[in-house]
Amino acid sequence: MLGALWLLPVLFAFWSAFHPAEFSTSFELFAPLTLDNFTRAWGYAPFPRYLLNTFFLVTTILIAQFILCTLAAYAFARFDFFGKNVIFALVLLQLMIMPEVLLVENYRTISSMGLLDTIPAIAFPYMASAFGVFLLRQSFKTIPKELVEAAQVEGVSALGVLWKVYVPLAKPTYIAYGLVSVSYHWNNFLWPLVVTSSVNSRPLTVGLAIFGAPESGVDWSIITAATVMTMSPLLLAFILFQRQFVQSFMHSGIK
Amino acid sequence: MSAIILRDIYKSWGSFEALSNINLGCEEGKLLVLLGPSGCGKSTTLRLIAGLETPTSGAVEINGKDVSNLPPVKRDISMVFQNYALFPHLTVAENILFGLKARKVSKPERKKRLKNAADILGLEEFLHRKPAQLSGGQRQRVALGRAIVAQVPVCLMDEPLSNLDAKLRQEMRQEIRSLQQRLGMTMVYVTHDQVEAMTIADKIILMNDGGIEQHGTPEDLYNRPATAFTGSFIGNPPMNILKSNPEIVAACGVDMPENFAISDLLIGVRPENIEVSKNSGFEIVVSATEYLGADTLIVGRSNDQSITLTIKGKATIPMGEIIRIGWSSKDTHLFSASTGKRVETTNMGEQS
Repeated sequence: MLGALWLLPVLFAFWSAFHPAEFSTSFELFAPLTLDNFTRAWGYAPFPRYLLNTFFLVTTILIAQFILCTLAAYAFARFDFFGKNVIFALVLLQLMIMPEVLLVENYRTISSMGLLDTIPAIAFPYMASAFGVFLLRQSFKTIPKELVEAAQVEGVSALGVLWKVYVPLAKPTYIAYGLVSVSYHWNNFLWPLVVTSSVNSRPLTVGLAIFGAPESGVDWSIITAATVMTMSPLLLAFILFQRQFVQSFMHSGIK
Repeated sequence: MSAIILRDIYKSWGSFEALSNINLGCEEGKLLVLLGPSGCGKSTTLRLIAGLETPTSGAVEINGKDVSNLPPVKRDISMVFQNYALFPHLTVAENILFGLKARKVSKPERKKRLKNAADILGLEEFLHRKPAQLSGGQRQRVALGRAIVAQVPVCLMDEPLSNLDAKLRQEMRQEIRSLQQRLGMTMVYVTHDQVEAMTIADKIILMNDGGIEQHGTPEDLYNRPATAFTGSFIGNPPMNILKSNPEIVAACGVDMPENFAISDLLIGVRPENIEVSKNSGFEIVVSATEYLGADTLIVGRSNDQSITLTIKGKATIPMGEIIRIGWSSKDTHLFSASTGKRVETTNMGEQS
């Protein structure tokens, strides 16, 4: 029953998107279907550009996170260095801080770097993800030392061991983390809103919000059409990767 | 020529001394077994030879070269681990060729070596499977394959058979031994199983508590144990180590050595050398019998010491029965009660 309740807004969005405006709030079963809303919404705002921005954004963040978090997790999992525990405690500290709290400070920093209103600007605060470091560190720690020693005996360097042994064996963690990261950043709203001010860098979420702002009139069918367009890539991905999604949220905790 | 030499090796972690005063050598083309109970330091010694640990002091030489500070890959060794250490995400062929790829051996050479190893070990049908699809014995062979293709003179094995069932263990140890002899590898083999050690070793080093108890051939260790520990470790069922008393001394017929009081001595005798006698010897009360098929183990008590003897075939001796046992002087081993070391006397029989 809870699931049904949860599903209602999505169902309404789909209903309203595929039917002409007159039927957006009356649920007659044989109302005519139309794709008109989509074509109009597509034209009203530069959704292709927004889509591209979002796509570029999540991809950049994901790649940066994979690289940075892998290296950091490897260091924490398998090496001993001065101040290791203190630094790791600092990393964990980041987990406890809500990014919205740092909004103003981050804005100031990005502004001083001259990067306002660019996609990297949206991406920067998220690239070194404590969550990613933590997940990968735990995952690396479960890999038996014997495998590493076997690789060492065969003549593999420290980075070689990372690439050939740790990364392939932590694949499930990478998939889980990737899904969490993509879905989070696809739907992220507040920070992109603050740091972007033009079509060049605005992601879908912000574009949609602006589009749906009351000043342009509340035309539900177009708004819902735009919403459906925005969420459908993720929805499709979810349906395709359903099992991994659920597993990843279960294992990594919902962020 | 000694292929491997350890000189004056000491290894400690903090205040815990894992190895002290280890001096050993393994000759080229021979199989040396490091034998001992859990925690005696045999795996640590192997890892020192491999380069996975560095000694606190002392030197490691392999093929005449001082390798004490070199990483494993520069020591020309291959290693087989207890849990095989196969990469689960790679196929059998990729596992075997892992090191060759890392060391950038050419493709035709890799193919040739893989085929050679697969032929010797019977792995041709399994080359495309992943380790999870293999049985324990098959995984063991893959680990051996990885060691063979390296084509290095020294092979180190860390309890490779302890995860297999008894029957498979017997088959595999013979395979390993014949492989070692066929390829002329210098092999150092760690095990806690004295049966394995006795059956495959050219030389055995028995370790205990971070030190070496005895270094010799299997016959040496069996017939002339240097310490009471060696005597009781080698042989199945283990040697009886008895606190001496006049009764037992008289029964074993050995002249007591001069500077020892009877209470300072331990008398060792193997269960298979003890006989049930009608008139001579001393009495024990039978407390248990175990029928093994070819033999029967009889456990008896005398003056609150437990003595085990073996009799051929089935022996139907009821519990609580009193029997007389004895053995010949040449089967007696004397050890000092304080140091555990072997004590010689004049009439202890021929050395083997």
